[in-house]
Amino acid sequence: MIEQFKRGYLEAILDTNRNVAIETIESSIDAGHSPETVIFEILIPAMEELAEIIRVGPDATLSQLYIASQISAEVTDRLIPLFTKKTDVEGKIIIGTAYEDFHGLGKKIVKGCLKSKMIEVIDLGLSVAAEKFVDEAIKQNAQIIGISSMMLHTARGGNGAFKVREILNKNGLEGRIRLVVGGAPYRFHPLLYKEVGADAWADNGITAANVITDLIRETQIS
Amino acid sequence: MNSIERITKVMEGKIPDRVPIMGNLLEQGANELGLSIEEYYSKGEYVAEGQLKLREKYGYDNLSGYFYAGCEAQMLGCRKIIFSETGPPNVGHLIIQNNKDIENLEIPKDISALPVFEELSKCIKILKQEAGGKYPVGSGVVSSFSLPAILMGIDKWLDLLINGPKSLRKELLQKCSDFCIKLIKALRATGADGVSYSNAVGSADFFSLEQFKDLSLEWIVRDIDAVGPEGITYFNGGGRINPMIDTIIKHTGITTYYINPLDDTAQAKKIIGDRGISSGVINDILLVDWQKEDIYNEVKSIMKSGAKDGRFIFGTLVMPYLIPEENIHHLFNAAREYGVYH
Repeated sequence: MIEQFKRGYLEAILDTNRNVAIETIESSIDAGHSPETVIFEILIPAMEELAEIIRVGPDATLSQLYIASQISAEVTDRLIPLFTKKTDVEGKIIIGTAYEDFHGLGKKIVKGCLKSKMIEVIDLGLSVAAEKFVDEAIKQNAQIIGISSMMLHTARGGNGAFKVREILNKNGLEGRIRLVVGGAPYRFHPLLYKEVGADAWADNGITAANVITDLIRETQIS
Repeated sequence: MNSIERITKVMEGKIPDRVPIMGNLLEQGANELGLSIEEYYSKGEYVAEGQLKLREKYGYDNLSGYFYAGCEAQMLGCRKIIFSETGPPNVGHLIIQNNKDIENLEIPKDISALPVFEELSKCIKILKQEAGGKYPVGSGVVSSFSLPAILMGIDKWLDLLINGPKSLRKELLQKCSDFCIKLIKALRATGADGVSYSNAVGSADFFSLEQFKDLSLEWIVRDIDAVGPEGITYFNGGGRINPMIDTIIKHTGITTYYINPLDDTAQAKKIIGDRGISSGVINDILLVDWQKEDIYNEVKSIMKSGAKDGRFIFGTLVMPYLIPEENIHHLFNAAREYGVYH
């Protein structure tokens, strides 16, 4: 039965059919499944399966990723307060777009995907100064800073990831806070993340959520 | 053979002396004049002078009478453009914040009287005059289907497209289409020889082919039916378009397709066949870091994939300001060297 709900939810997302996706989640709750079961046995496995579909097959479209992330975030926000036991989050991330970058779609997709993986997201919004990323990460005790850029000059310019890396290194924070980047320029130039001093990048929101989860675990081990 | 003759031959399906080279250098014009990007775009005369200098310097085959996508938002009421020192201007004021704003959106009766268009028009007229019949002057528009992204933000537009009320979506798209049609007509009236029709949101990066047919196609058809496909280039706008090309040809009659660097050049050529002109487009983000040898190898490879038997042009996407001048020279030198129809 759980498998049926998971499949129905995944198919709805692939069809970018928000209504059917939400109905499927509601039906699973009506069928007596706990909020924990819905999150951990339907939502998260469906997102994992979507990640696998993206990995092996043709690219998922931005509309599919957008719908998947928004619904997953919505369902997670709704169900977590209903958990019978408080569940620890996997970790914490500060995200925002690079300074002078006003394109927020990628960030929004990543944010939704991260929420569904039980990662706490602190969204600083658009055009965020490098200093603010680091200050907030220290203040919030976040393990990751995630910077999204739609344009090359904001990805590579001196006020974005470059500067964040500089501040992290200057303050000896490189082992404690990892830097992740994403956005169009990185898709066209897969080694650009290294040029700007990031620890990792991801091609899409779902992969980003997996990459970030792995990095959080790394920082926890180190 | 001059550039117009070269391009005309390709359009006629004949083989000219070499592959035409399209250079989409925009903000680089400011650097040529020693101006900030904001000052540069403040006057049509500056942009025209910058574009003439760039073409002369790098030797490509076209002149660009185009500013930045945000101009169209300005024509529709956007009051704030954010200028950068090293990149393209951004829309800083979204004119559609709620459903009521869609109902209230008014398309200007006379686009040619708008201050931004007046500067653009000045630029195109100067370019036409200075080109002396040797170089085609191109401009560009955002398609009706993609225009809402710069009026309300792409996330809100996706929400309306996928989850929103159909009637509201239709109302917005009708207005955007009316504007797109008016703008294409106004650009032509000013003297633009060609118009790039940019449909990023209708690309395969955003939607599957089925969704494209369901959501985007009718609006492309509406725009193009009203102006005719002559001189229109279907421009990728930053997303891949190969899966959509066949459908667009069948429904609109547009014959020139400017693909994305992540589209397959040989595949695009095969899809278009003898129905039109395909292109090979360099991944210009990589030009920032590439060495001369990398650039030459890539250009050679693109030409090999597409130039055989003609019906092919070569070009750049929208060259980032950060690309070193030396690499821009390498790019166009390589294109002239390898741009033969083998």
